Amino acid sequence: MMVRWLIAAILSLALPGLPAAASPRAADCPVPDSAMASGPLPGTATALFQGDIRILLIGSATTSSGGASARDRAWPERLAHILAGRRAETHVEIRREGLRGSTATDHARLLDDVVPAFRPNLVIWQLGTVEAVRSLSAEEMADTVQTAAARLRETRAERTDLILMDPQFSRFLRANADVETYREKLSQAAYASGAALFSRWVVMKHWVETGGIDLERAPPAQRAATADRLNECLARALADFMVGGTR
Amino acid sequence: MATQATPKIPLVRAGRDLRVDMFRGLALWMIFVNHTPGNIVGDFTLRKVSLSDATEIFVLLAGYAAGLSYGRMLEREGWLRTGTRIVERIFTLYVAHIFLFVVFTAQVGFSAAALDQAAYFDELALDPFTQEPYRALLEALLLRYQPAFLDVLPLYIVVLALFALAVPLIRRLPLLIGASVLMYVLARGVGIAPPSWTGDAWFFNPFAWQLLFAIGIWLGRADTATLSRWFGWNPWVAAALMALLLGNAFGMNLSRAGMLFGITAPEWLAGWYATIDKSGLHPARLASVLIMVWLAAHWVKPQAAWLNGYVASLFALLGQQGLPVFCAGIFLSFLGRVTIEVSEGWHAQLLVNLGGLLALVGIAALVAWHEGGTRRKPDALPAANKVAKLS
Repeated sequence: MMVRWLIAAILSLALPGLPAAASPRAADCPVPDSAMASGPLPGTATALFQGDIRILLIGSATTSSGGASARDRAWPERLAHILAGRRAETHVEIRREGLRGSTATDHARLLDDVVPAFRPNLVIWQLGTVEAVRSLSAEEMADTVQTAAARLRETRAERTDLILMDPQFSRFLRANADVETYREKLSQAAYASGAALFSRWVVMKHWVETGGIDLERAPPAQRAATADRLNECLARALADFMVGGTR
Repeated sequence: MATQATPKIPLVRAGRDLRVDMFRGLALWMIFVNHTPGNIVGDFTLRKVSLSDATEIFVLLAGYAAGLSYGRMLEREGWLRTGTRIVERIFTLYVAHIFLFVVFTAQVGFSAAALDQAAYFDELALDPFTQEPYRALLEALLLRYQPAFLDVLPLYIVVLALFALAVPLIRRLPLLIGASVLMYVLARGVGIAPPSWTGDAWFFNPFAWQLLFAIGIWLGRADTATLSRWFGWNPWVAAALMALLLGNAFGMNLSRAGMLFGITAPEWLAGWYATIDKSGLHPARLASVLIMVWLAAHWVKPQAAWLNGYVASLFALLGQQGLPVFCAGIFLSFLGRVTIEVSEGWHAQLLVNLGGLLALVGIAALVAWHEGGTRRKPDALPAANKVAKLS
């Protein structure tokens, strides 16, 4: 695995024009292997093995809508569908806690409120966009994440895993906010707290660059279809990422 | 003393420490590159391998230049006149900032129309003008609304305002540095920072960043003998500092990637890097830039022939016209961002980088030529070779 990763990294450095070695798992929308390196996810592994998983989604707007044409086409629903279909009789319960324009501090408070009662096996925490757009302190965001992750580990130990998810790739966001700073602090916070990092930015950038899915450049007539495809592909990539962490 | 070779580009003023001008020019160019996200040249700038980036060098060398020129003026014309001149400069900067702000607003509007961002950002106030246009304008005028990439000039404005007050202290450097360190400690410790409309505080806290400016003044004004006695060459220290810089380059990239060359980032390391803030000029960032300055001051000899070559002269020309080049760089970065938004192919990259650099050089050359016309005899800078003697 490590050797493969290294080769992929070297290849992608040496041949910037070519797509990085892609995961064979999701055939329709391949994802670079380097973006799929999840840490161990013991809570998810146990839950999937027992056929009953509770997932808490927390974050700002894309947690609730994702821009899909209908609610059942949004990535959280698609993720539940994919997970349920992986093995017969897997029961998937997904709870969304998302608020438009909410920040890491709001999310941390929500986590405190929701986790004890919902007892999720996995928390998927999407953040960074609002902080970047409003030029909020990136270090405070990282600190909030680390504190919340430590509290989660303290109260739930290995029963609840945490996946952090960074902003969606967008040329508009890249041009008008200092996204790199926030992505950097977010990944450092993830590696500092033992959380897994699912980089939507890297994955979606890969799809844009390889001509797969480009929502920003989709003609108006195809926008809804493109958004649905993006949500479907994100759900698949995330499902692969989760399963990768259970091995 | 160096034999006065003349720079290959005649518009470059000779008789100054060309190293300072060259590094300032390099920093200005890097600021332009780093202000165009998506630019692949950005992957080869300082911030990829060092804690501090071009902003630190820009502020430090701005202090160096200000200390020299306003210091001379203070000796000749007194505090009131010098302070007035600095205030005049501040006003120019403020007008430039507001101009750039208007350009920024137009660029966001253009981008929003050119790319369909509705699916992504329907809820985000990336463009406060759509929600509260009058308020946004007022907050921009008060410098409380600073969009991303428009935060360096407000920093510079406040740092210069502090300098206008503190300019007599140029004659008492230990007092200047002492006051500056005290303000830095207070700013970081108590968290004193100017407020912002969109967040809690300005992205760059000027009360912390003024320390770099003050250190720049000190480097420009201090007695060369003292400087070389305190900070003279020592190969062991240099080797240790190089190891530190290299170790940091690895550790920092490890903390960003999670894993490098088969090594997994330890939690404590990633946790430490996560705390290093740019806003308040974290001590590690300060140390990083000072280490690089020390190494560069010793390694690059002021008499080095290549400093008069084309490449070095080109950047020295940029550095000698710091302010117009900085403002032009921010303006050009808007055009660069739009270009990279529209097309990310190699031709767009080439256009942005080559076109950007040529435009910066063109503007610097124009200003230098104009200055050469109005001021028949360029100011001799008696103190300019001070740092030159350091090595």
